[in-house]
Amino acid sequence: MKGDRSRQNMAVTKKPKLKKNDEPKKVLKTAATEKGEGSKRYSLWNFWISTLFLKLLLIPDYFSTDFDVHRNWLAITNKLPISEWYYEHTSQWTLDYPPFFAYFEWFLSQFVPKSVRDDGCLDIVEIGKFGLPTIVFQRLTVIFSEILLFVILQIYINTTKLSERSQSFVVASSIVLSPGFLIIDHIHFQYNGFLFAILIGSIVAAKNKRYILCAVLYTTAICFKHIFLYLAPCYFVFLLRAYVLNVNNFKFKSYKDFLFLIRWANLLKLATVVVGIFTICFLPFAHQMPQVLSRLFPFSRGLTHAYWAPNFWALYSFMDKILTTVMLKLPYVHTFATKFIKPPLIPQNIKEINERLAANNNGSKGLVQDVFFVILPQIPPKLTFILTIFYQVLAVLPLLFDPSFKRFVGSLTLCGLASFLFGWHVHEKAIMLVIIPFTFLVGFDRRLLVPFMLVASAGYVSLYPLLYKGQDFFIKTLYTYVWCIIYFAAFRKTTKISSSVERRIFFLDRLALTYIFSLLPIVTVLQILDEVKWRYSFLQKFEFLGLMIYSVYCSLGIISSWFALSWLYNFDELLWQ
Amino acid sequence: MAMGKRLLVNKPAEESFYASPMYDFLYPFRPVGNQWLPEYIIFVCAVIVRCTIGLGPYSGKGSPPLYGDFEAQRHWMEITQHLPLSKWYWYDLQYWGLDYPPLTAFHSYLLGLIGSFFNPSWFALEKSRGFESPDNGLKTYMRSTVIISDILFYFPAVIYFTKWLGRYRNQSPIGQSIAASAILFQPSLMLIDHGHFQYNSVMLGLTAYAINNLLDEYYAMAAVCFVLSICFKQMALYYAPIFFAYLLSRSLLFPKFNIARLTVIAFATLATFAIIFAPLYFLGGGLKNIHQCIHRIFPFARGIFEDKVANFWCVTNVFVKYKERFTIQQLQLYSLIATVTGFLPAMIMTLLHPKKHLLPYVLIACSMSFFLFSFQVHEKTILIPLLPITLLYSSTDWNVLSLVSWINNVALFTLWPLLKKDGLHLQYAVSFLLSNWLIGNFSFITPRFLPKSLTPGPSISSINSDYRRRSLLPYNVVWKSFIIGTYIAMGFYHFLDQFVAPPSKYPDLWVLLNCAVGFICFSIFWLWSYYKIFTSGSKSMKDL
Repeated sequence: MKGDRSRQNMAVTKKPKLKKNDEPKKVLKTAATEKGEGSKRYSLWNFWISTLFLKLLLIPDYFSTDFDVHRNWLAITNKLPISEWYYEHTSQWTLDYPPFFAYFEWFLSQFVPKSVRDDGCLDIVEIGKFGLPTIVFQRLTVIFSEILLFVILQIYINTTKLSERSQSFVVASSIVLSPGFLIIDHIHFQYNGFLFAILIGSIVAAKNKRYILCAVLYTTAICFKHIFLYLAPCYFVFLLRAYVLNVNNFKFKSYKDFLFLIRWANLLKLATVVVGIFTICFLPFAHQMPQVLSRLFPFSRGLTHAYWAPNFWALYSFMDKILTTVMLKLPYVHTFATKFIKPPLIPQNIKEINERLAANNNGSKGLVQDVFFVILPQIPPKLTFILTIFYQVLAVLPLLFDPSFKRFVGSLTLCGLASFLFGWHVHEKAIMLVIIPFTFLVGFDRRLLVPFMLVASAGYVSLYPLLYKGQDFFIKTLYTYVWCIIYFAAFRKTTKISSSVERRIFFLDRLALTYIFSLLPIVTVLQILDEVKWRYSFLQKFEFLGLMIYSVYCSLGIISSWFALSWLYNFDELLWQ
Repeated sequence: MAMGKRLLVNKPAEESFYASPMYDFLYPFRPVGNQWLPEYIIFVCAVIVRCTIGLGPYSGKGSPPLYGDFEAQRHWMEITQHLPLSKWYWYDLQYWGLDYPPLTAFHSYLLGLIGSFFNPSWFALEKSRGFESPDNGLKTYMRSTVIISDILFYFPAVIYFTKWLGRYRNQSPIGQSIAASAILFQPSLMLIDHGHFQYNSVMLGLTAYAINNLLDEYYAMAAVCFVLSICFKQMALYYAPIFFAYLLSRSLLFPKFNIARLTVIAFATLATFAIIFAPLYFLGGGLKNIHQCIHRIFPFARGIFEDKVANFWCVTNVFVKYKERFTIQQLQLYSLIATVTGFLPAMIMTLLHPKKHLLPYVLIACSMSFFLFSFQVHEKTILIPLLPITLLYSSTDWNVLSLVSWINNVALFTLWPLLKKDGLHLQYAVSFLLSNWLIGNFSFITPRFLPKSLTPGPSISSINSDYRRRSLLPYNVVWKSFIIGTYIAMGFYHFLDQFVAPPSKYPDLWVLLNCAVGFICFSIFWLWSYYKIFTSGSKSMKDL
């Protein structure tokens, strides 16, 4: 206190004296900054506070039906005995998350204060009737449960080596500030911050070679939200190879030696914890497993969501739309095509195209869950399953030979991408399953940055249709924009420049940058068109055009990112040394 | 020797807001290659915070028949686009008749036209009164017009000001950005413009442009900007004596008698006024319309104060019932005398000593005396003295920064009754906490027993971990205890307001208490600005 004051006075009144004093001080200061890297604390504290303010201001904002879904779950878990949780169907928002999440909702419902209870927060009704108290309470539960994300990432920062700490700080802060969590959790309403915290915990455990912890956390994460099952092949192979198999000391003398290939003690430990956690999770529901499973895996849904997630099927549907228009306008294209492709794969004639089109448009568009292609072959669920598994196996195989952390996050990202691109009924929100592991990967090599930038920007932009209201337009675009500016610059600074020869294709880098930069004008134009579409009949005719542009343009980015990453993952040996 | 000199220049400028969270956030952008970034980041973040504040309710939401300021602005967009210019200042004056100068009317006209392109029913004549669309379309549109006006007028002016000062003082770009963010995150303006709903940032931005032009010594441009500011909201006249004195003295006395400059300034002023008012004359029925406009702008028929406001008349009204003891004419005269006595020393000082570094202080002294003593003052008018006050965030003097931060909090506090009526409780609390936290006012909360990574405080910047940043409080013990006392009083007021019902005989007692605290703080700050004017005459812009 006194020191500050005298320094200030010196600066104002005793200028000549300052000159003498300042020389050694300056030397000290530079020495301090040189040592500074170590003395920095890399605490996420300030980020938590600043985003806390933002999240509090977002409380009155729009929320989706997911809000009522979670409110209904609070009510179900609070009011009903545990045996009825998965049978209750007063509201159409039945409980379709695994039991740990139900327990979590039960836990939250214990904290509902009386005023919120009176507001209708815990009523099991068809459509929730609630007011501000319920909104504040539920928003606060999201904010508080998200603290886990900050804690786990802080642990991640603290457990990295001093020399890599600034890089891990960039990774951690980019995740906690992610526009994805802001949009999905704090506006749209879900608990992804909390759920991903558990998944990230397992990734951090894998990095620190604490395999049991990794398995525990990952199993827990699945028991909270089964979408994480998409990453299961990768975890399975990683834990198998790194923890259970004993390849290094393996010498084949007879078939008996295969017994020593497996570390039986480790296998036992691993199996015990995994089975144990699943038991804790599902034991109360043991006698009603078919009902629980039917809730968790509703296979009756269609290939794509109402709004196509930006994946391969979005491009496929788009192609189908284009071909339909082209063939109806120019029939000889169809005649030409039938020369190469035979009828079961393509409509017999123009009349059949018209018939299919009519069947598709027949009034119940909004209700029909199934997607029906006019020209292109239909996609059975089995095919999406096979494609997903195929690309996941490709992603997982290298892990079998090299179970390093780098490979692990690489294959996690590719597993996420494969399931996102080819999965059945994928939500756009699932892109977080790709971006989060990719964030851990991108620091390893500068060349991974461009694919990361592509998938992050396209992925976050593809979330925009979730917030269709005009009031969120500036918030979602500006927040994503500023996040991209900060973190693309920060990653560029902290990633290692590749040890191999600079084999970057500059043309493609420029193309990717152009792609990213044109996202902003596209989004703006689409928003303005959306506001004035009532004026122009041709805009109304293409009501879904805006959403289609979103998903097609974003899927282009995500698919090219997948290509780039797959190339680097499979063919660039220097990157993985 | 040369090195010593450079150190002298650099050293003091680096120190303001050292180790505050804002400093911590911007520290990574110190390397030369990244220095262009912080400006944009602050800019975008300030816009995002404004957008999120805008999610809250606005004044008069769902309260017929008169609604509030939001409806007034919407109503003006409605009448300006449907009626000829000659009717603008005459139409149904009982229902939010237009009572701002023509530039506001033109601004409303433009925004109304654009808005009608999106949805004409928002601004249908008569039918749209109290319109509230179920999907918040109108609210969203109106909010975005404020945000865009803010971005166009206020943001660039503030950033230019801090950059000008920074370049003049050889300050690091980070220091400039921190000052700019401290100014842009000023809570009162954010809440009134984006929460309560008004377009003050346009007027304040134009005034800030005028100040920038004075710094750059483009006097005619300064006059133009200032006239535009007056023509947007007449409240900018609170600064008028100073601008008048400064321009006059700069052209007649300093550095020399310069009649050409005076002519140009006079011509620019008159021409701007003429251009703004010409449509009223030529398209709108001649002098009668202009007379009506001026009559509407200056409502002398109203009382000396309307709502409770933290100025002299309202607070002393407890002891002397002015409205009963004096006629309106008498009160007008008294308030005029009081106001003129209040700002005259500052004006004379400006005439005799027109120095750039004194500009903020004389502007504060002048506009504050208007706020404290003039006729018909609203609580929102505190925003006008707050502009020059907040510009002082670019100062490097710890005492100045402390007082600025304190008076900003006091001003926010006096706005509380208004914001409470609007239902902006959450926004009030959050923007108070955010603005103070960013400049490091809450850094005293530093639990040392926590592990290193959990202790609040700088985390990315390489500040020594046992460095203790203090909150912004002056060094002087008397000042310090006074300021802490006022904070306690404000806290106590909030406690009363929340939990204790006022006595039924005096339902306004708590509000009056609020005004009294505000009045005491504002008058002391006003006196302090005079103290600064008379003691820092010989200093320069470098130690602003």
